[in-house]
Amino acid sequence: MDLWVLNLLNGISFGMVLFLLAAGLSLTLGVMGILNLAHGSLFMIGAFVGFFVFSGGGSFWVAALLAGAIAGLVGLVLEKAFLGRLHNLFDAQAMLLVGVVYILGNLGLWIFGPQNRLASPPLSLAFSVRIGNYTFPAYRLALILIGTIVFISLWWLLAKTRIGAIIRAGMDDREMTTGLGVNYGLISTAVFSLGAFTAGFAGAIALPMIGVAPSIAWDILLYSFIVVVVGGMGSMLGSLIGSLFIGLVDTFSRALFPDIATFTLYTVLVITLLVKPSGILGRKGILQDMERL
Amino acid sequence: MSRGPGRRAVIGYLVSSAPYITGALAFVLSPLLLPTYLQSMLTKVLIFSIFAMSLNLLWGYTGLIVFGHAAFFGVAAYTNGILITRYGIESFWLAAPIAILITVLVAAAFGFIALQASGTYFSFITLALGLLVYSAASKWRSMTGGHDGLIGIPLPDLGLPWFTTWNATYFYFFVFLAFAVCFFLLYRLASSPFGYALQGIREDEPRMRSLGYNTWLHKYIAFVIAGLFAGIAGVLYSHLMRAVFLNFVGMLTSFLAVFITVIGGSGVIFGPVVGSIIIIFLEYFSSLYAPERWPLILGIVFVIVMLFLREGVSPYLVRVWKKVIPIWKP
Repeated sequence: MDLWVLNLLNGISFGMVLFLLAAGLSLTLGVMGILNLAHGSLFMIGAFVGFFVFSGGGSFWVAALLAGAIAGLVGLVLEKAFLGRLHNLFDAQAMLLVGVVYILGNLGLWIFGPQNRLASPPLSLAFSVRIGNYTFPAYRLALILIGTIVFISLWWLLAKTRIGAIIRAGMDDREMTTGLGVNYGLISTAVFSLGAFTAGFAGAIALPMIGVAPSIAWDILLYSFIVVVVGGMGSMLGSLIGSLFIGLVDTFSRALFPDIATFTLYTVLVITLLVKPSGILGRKGILQDMERL
Repeated sequence: MSRGPGRRAVIGYLVSSAPYITGALAFVLSPLLLPTYLQSMLTKVLIFSIFAMSLNLLWGYTGLIVFGHAAFFGVAAYTNGILITRYGIESFWLAAPIAILITVLVAAAFGFIALQASGTYFSFITLALGLLVYSAASKWRSMTGGHDGLIGIPLPDLGLPWFTTWNATYFYFFVFLAFAVCFFLLYRLASSPFGYALQGIREDEPRMRSLGYNTWLHKYIAFVIAGLFAGIAGVLYSHLMRAVFLNFVGMLTSFLAVFITVIGGSGVIFGPVVGSIIIIFLEYFSSLYAPERWPLILGIVFVIVMLFLREGVSPYLVRVWKKVIPIWKP
């Protein structure tokens, strides 16, 4: 019984990290119409920055914010210097990002070596919380708290602000939104950088749980993609539900059937595609957009 | 009197097919002048040409971007290797067809799943399915040998009594023959009504649908055919390497095919061959001087190509050819 409760907590906290990743991926996809294949690489950059700031004696939270900022900066450069030059060439943008994944992955291998690096949770969170009969590590609870805060702020940004209204309008009909005089290029750049920021931030705060290695980029991308497919594109609530679902499924299958755990995710992906291709809460506009691509 | 236009037509035909004849002659004659290790490089070029041509059917002709094509290459290589080393089925005429058949079945299943979606979404699903095959190959150790790979695959046993000893040159010509057949078949396919329908889907799928084409079925059939040719390449590659390793199904192999197709020029029948020559020799030089940095070099080359040379190299070659020899209009 204890195992179940602990795995439940682990699954939810892993799901929250996935939410940080998937939210950025899903927003970028909705706004720019491209799947950011370099999302896992931005996670890796954030995790490396976080690891060296934190293990160099910096505060965990400063490390996480710095990781997010640097990943966001890389995202900004990527969007401005490379993707911007391939305006509306979605295939070429996707292909270019594949090249970027190989460049960043191999640079990471060159500079930091192949080993996986884990960090211990920060001292301020290195204790356990007793709830009823169970003790929970505070770090895991903090991840859940951070995920919830990010979810609420992103939801508020999208649902309650003027910028959010513009983003939603652009997801539904990009041409019309541009026609109304919105500088959609600026919005795209901002959203891409925001997505990169959340990916880098997630990389740093997940260090005690996932760690970082140069080979991590594809795995992270795969997880985030599956969450976006299951949750549905362009919806924050969908991403949250998808993340928690995948987090729990992955954690429990690793605990219950470790031999075949790798295949659980693929099974979920395939079943979703066959049964409900738009995901749990997908925006219809985006699916039509994807048809067009 | 009627001889004039007839002769001009023949000359025109010769001139228009001259690049193919020159290319074929270069491929036939060059191994005779090259040392053995370069011969096997050239064999690899041909195998990856088949592999990339199969991708090009989807990429260049149908407009379907596939990121996990190594799945079919790898399934065929593994099946062939397993049949030969674990089950002792040594005859090429038995092992290779079974391997290709199984690949076609896998392609039929994967195509059905992936074609539930379109666009970038489709691309990424093929990538996920490619990763699935990779995971399966690394876990199923009793069959695939896991990270150690499957070693001890001999050159193909053709069962010909008068032909018993292989050498690198013979194997090169064997692969060249397979390549020529695949090239011809894919060329015919691309210029058949089916091929034109695929190009119509690439240009405007809704319009093709309203013209009454079952576009989904066209894409699905193209996907399975591409799987078949990728399987042929996989079988040949397992014989060339005398082994099957995990990286045959790896992501880099998938993207190598993509890079070859794009750099060579997608949508042109010989584009993948040009791309294959460039990429395989680039890989070779990189392995001499900086083997660890190959993904970095490949990534940089690819980003540059995407920014400045999106059409690939082939259109430039065509332009140069047309400048050198004025076009004959029969």
